[in-house]
Amino acid sequence: MSEIPRLAVRGLTKRFGGLVAVKDISFDIRAGEILGLIGPNGSGKSTAMKLIMGLERPNAGSVQVDGVEVAGWPPHRIARAGVGIMFQHSRPLHRQTVLEHIKLALLPDSLIRLAADPDVDRRAREIAEHVELGRVMNRHPATLPFADLRRMEMAKAIARDPKVVLVDEPFAGLTAAESKTFAALIRRFRDEGRAVLLVDHNVKSLAALADRVFAMYLGEYVADGTADEVMRNETVRRVYLGGKIETRERSPETVSDKPTLLQVDNVGVLYGKATALDGVSLTVREGEFVSVVGLNGAGKTTLFNAISGLVPYSGTISFAGNSLRCMSGAAIARGGIVQCPETRELFSDMTVRENLDLGGFHLPVGARRDQLAWLFDLFPILKSRQQQTARTLSGGEQQMLAIARALMMQPKLLILDEPTLGLAPVILEQLSKAMDLMQRTTPITVLLGEQNVTFALPHADRVYVLEHGRILWEGDPGRFEREMAHGFLEVVGDDETPPATRARA
Amino acid sequence: MLWLQILIDGFAISSLYALGAIGFTLIFGVSGVLNLAHGGVMVVAALTGWALASHFGLGTWLGTLVGVLAGLVSAYVTWLLVVRPIQRSRAIPSEEKEIFVLTGTLLWGIMIQEGLAYLFSDNPVTMRPLISGVALIGGVRTPINEIMIAVLCWIVIGLLWLFVNRTRAGKALLAASMNPRGLTLLGFELSRVYFIAWTIYGVLAGVAGVLLASFLGVSTNNVGQLTASAFSIVVLGGLGSVSGSLMAAYVVGYLETLTAYLIAPTVRPLPALLLLVLVVYVRPQGFLGRR
Amino acid sequence: MKNLFRSRMLWVALAVAAVAATLPWWLSAYVLGILTLAYYFGVFSMAWDLLFGFAGEVNFGPTFLIGLGAYTAAIIDANWGWSIPLCVIAGGLVALVGGLLLALPALRLRGPYFGLVTLVAVLLLQNSIVIFAGVTGGEIGMMVPDVMSVSAESNYWIALAFLVICAVLLFGLSRSALGLILQASGQDPTGAQALGFNVTRHKLVAFCVSAVFSGVAGAMLVFYQGTASVGTVIDIGVGVQIIIAAVLGGRRTILGAALGAIVLIVASEFLRPLGQLNTFVVAAVALAVILFFPDGLLGNLLKAKEQT
Repeated sequence: MSEIPRLAVRGLTKRFGGLVAVKDISFDIRAGEILGLIGPNGSGKSTAMKLIMGLERPNAGSVQVDGVEVAGWPPHRIARAGVGIMFQHSRPLHRQTVLEHIKLALLPDSLIRLAADPDVDRRAREIAEHVELGRVMNRHPATLPFADLRRMEMAKAIARDPKVVLVDEPFAGLTAAESKTFAALIRRFRDEGRAVLLVDHNVKSLAALADRVFAMYLGEYVADGTADEVMRNETVRRVYLGGKIETRERSPETVSDKPTLLQVDNVGVLYGKATALDGVSLTVREGEFVSVVGLNGAGKTTLFNAISGLVPYSGTISFAGNSLRCMSGAAIARGGIVQCPETRELFSDMTVRENLDLGGFHLPVGARRDQLAWLFDLFPILKSRQQQTARTLSGGEQQMLAIARALMMQPKLLILDEPTLGLAPVILEQLSKAMDLMQRTTPITVLLGEQNVTFALPHADRVYVLEHGRILWEGDPGRFEREMAHGFLEVVGDDETPPATRARA
Repeated sequence: MLWLQILIDGFAISSLYALGAIGFTLIFGVSGVLNLAHGGVMVVAALTGWALASHFGLGTWLGTLVGVLAGLVSAYVTWLLVVRPIQRSRAIPSEEKEIFVLTGTLLWGIMIQEGLAYLFSDNPVTMRPLISGVALIGGVRTPINEIMIAVLCWIVIGLLWLFVNRTRAGKALLAASMNPRGLTLLGFELSRVYFIAWTIYGVLAGVAGVLLASFLGVSTNNVGQLTASAFSIVVLGGLGSVSGSLMAAYVVGYLETLTAYLIAPTVRPLPALLLLVLVVYVRPQGFLGRR
Repeated sequence: MKNLFRSRMLWVALAVAAVAATLPWWLSAYVLGILTLAYYFGVFSMAWDLLFGFAGEVNFGPTFLIGLGAYTAAIIDANWGWSIPLCVIAGGLVALVGGLLLALPALRLRGPYFGLVTLVAVLLLQNSIVIFAGVTGGEIGMMVPDVMSVSAESNYWIALAFLVICAVLLFGLSRSALGLILQASGQDPTGAQALGFNVTRHKLVAFCVSAVFSGVAGAMLVFYQGTASVGTVIDIGVGVQIIIAAVLGGRRTILGAALGAIVLIVASEFLRPLGQLNTFVVAAVALAVILFFPDGLLGNLLKAKEQT
């Protein structure tokens, strides 16, 4: 029975200027335990991991490894004190083989030792075998598939037999089968007596793997306990799902006979070698409001960027019957598909009015004036803050500005990516009302990507569930509430996710 | 009397510096490029203008106009033949693109310098003044040309300000310097925005070059120094900040003029250089730059 | 060390060097002079590649370090008459100090700023030399009373030996465990820190090594040519040639940098009959290399190996 926890974090706090990224976070991880950190975007989990590794200096709090205080140490010292980290992104050295990368991890931090210990070679080979890289040890990174590159990162992280292993998004970019193998490898680390801290957006895979789960929101503690306990916690559900789900059924006749406006067929996107989207297909008809629901990291933004022509993809995407493949991003926007991205992309040093004017740049003067007037009706707060610089607006106002600016282009299809991110419930109300009004008074077609199911459902005609780069489910909001909502955050366990119950909409 | 002379001379040279520096910082702000062929563009304009005005006897005004056009053309060539191919190249990893653009523009600047030296020799040339004659300002004899140059610089700067702040195309340019992705999402083809940016740059550098030829004279040996001055000023003022460049141009211009008059003309560039070192160590983002 | 001796590239290079050693028996003194200059440039470029390829720092003013070494040696020799080896060592030491001065902002600045610092350093040095013309000979340069040898053959062999020694040392360093750590520090500093390496200290070491080699080579060049001048050791154009040579030969290969320097200098010589257009053509070709073969000669060869 180990008394001193391998990793003990107390009161960890980090501020970036006025923003508190991590506030008073405390937890322990014992030897032979996996703790999963979960939380939506901006919850501070990545920052917490960086603080433990020393890549950021905490403003307050303590981090102890086997009882030794390491908070405030530079990262290389913390690494030597027995902490290993597996980053989400890494830049392998292209001229070095896999074996040489592992050897690097085993080298001492010396300026004079020009030759490595003969022991290093033997140990490096052992480690390579341990993470199942034995066959490709002498190959160069450029020739390896993504999963093997990730294994190499894993090897580097555990090379010096660390007591604590930090793992950042191990499943990102992996297929479901690969994720299972990796989960098994991580479990093996735990069984070797290490303390493992796991951060991943894929809540289900993480929950299946972790012994305990720690939930964060906006930098603060929300809940902790076993995976089951945390997933059932009311606050956690509200943070992820946005509260109780209400739906308003829109009469299906209004849209089911309208022509298809957007057709996405078997689209795949690779970021380098990581799979971000895998065989995604969806349809949006004229006048419809389609919600794509999924947790962070599921691939919603990637999907929207593919539609907007901002990332290369395989498969076909057509709009009103025409393929979008050869069109530039700007041309697609001018052609009627306007995206309001998660990051909003406002012109922060320009005024509200100037931002809107740029949105209406391509319209004739009269139409621009009318559109502006209509938008000021829709978002009265923008009218009163016309001359204010975008940077000084509140989060909710910025979101409204972003949407209004997109609407200035008179889009045929409006894509909204996580509009509710980081907004207070009161603002969500206003936003919801505005969307309602927009839906009722214009023939606009909307494609919404949201993690907040409560916001996404009431307006939607149809819902798609996107998880880990694939469409898992499709149907109308009523069916979603009955079939999916309950299982949305539920731990699926070790089995493969049940095959999608595809609906004939 | 001396102080008045310093004031006037300093003003004229600073205005000229400002014109060149603003162009340099504009291109950086909008397309992220530090154009190390800047001096080359200016000298092309200057020498072409001189060639047409004096050598081919087409007169100063026509020569000036054609000189500015030559500057514009060389700006386009810099963009299309050097900068854009490197930015679009798939053989160069994205972290190294900046370095390659810097080296590429530096090489291009050398090509311009040597090419022009071959055509024109490296002797300094002076354009005949646009308006000849001397005026008396507070007792100081000042060539009217000098006054005209300062006035012209400010007219161009004023026109630029009007363009950026009062026209829609100008606003688009400003927006590109803040958030190019945002512009793409609003349906603007960035290549068109860059075209406008390089056009403005070409005109600014061209005018600066031609006026320099008529004020102090220019030779192909000035190419490096002109680039160095421009980027010193731009770094001092803050990379990407037009008002910062304006301010820094006057600081540098007056520092140099004071040094030349009060200490010695040979040490002219030194104080500004020392200031630059100080700024880079203490406040690398310059007076008004954003980090 | 095993790594070093296993390297085919090194053995090929040594073989080429052996052949090169025989050249004085059938080349004219003039051609030998070109090659001698090229060999010193080879060391300049290799030192640059060490800093760039292995510490990830782009030095736009390698001539700052070279110039410091060169002028220190020249001034000491002219004023105090120390022996050549002592002057060269002094040059190396002063360059080392210069390297540390450059390293300080490098470790704090991001993006284009560090490159600007290196350019500014060169300008400052250049202006200082011109201003203190009394000591340094200003724009025209200064003569040095001692030279290493007056015979073209001896100078050639000295330069070749110097190049080979530096190449073995620098290449050996790049292939050593320390070299691997330096590479990681340059290409992925966060990753290197997380593996337990003090990246700051390693980068400082890279700066120091690059500085010492640059300074010593600069000093040796002075004692070969018998003069030190802005045009040969400080001018930005010289710095650009060094960078081009390293890129031409292949970034991050060390030996490629030496190859690139030799090719560049020899090619410029071939173009000499073009007269004034010679620099133009060299710059144009260099630009073409940057645009179309950014990986350089050796780089392309190694790329094939990366695909196994």
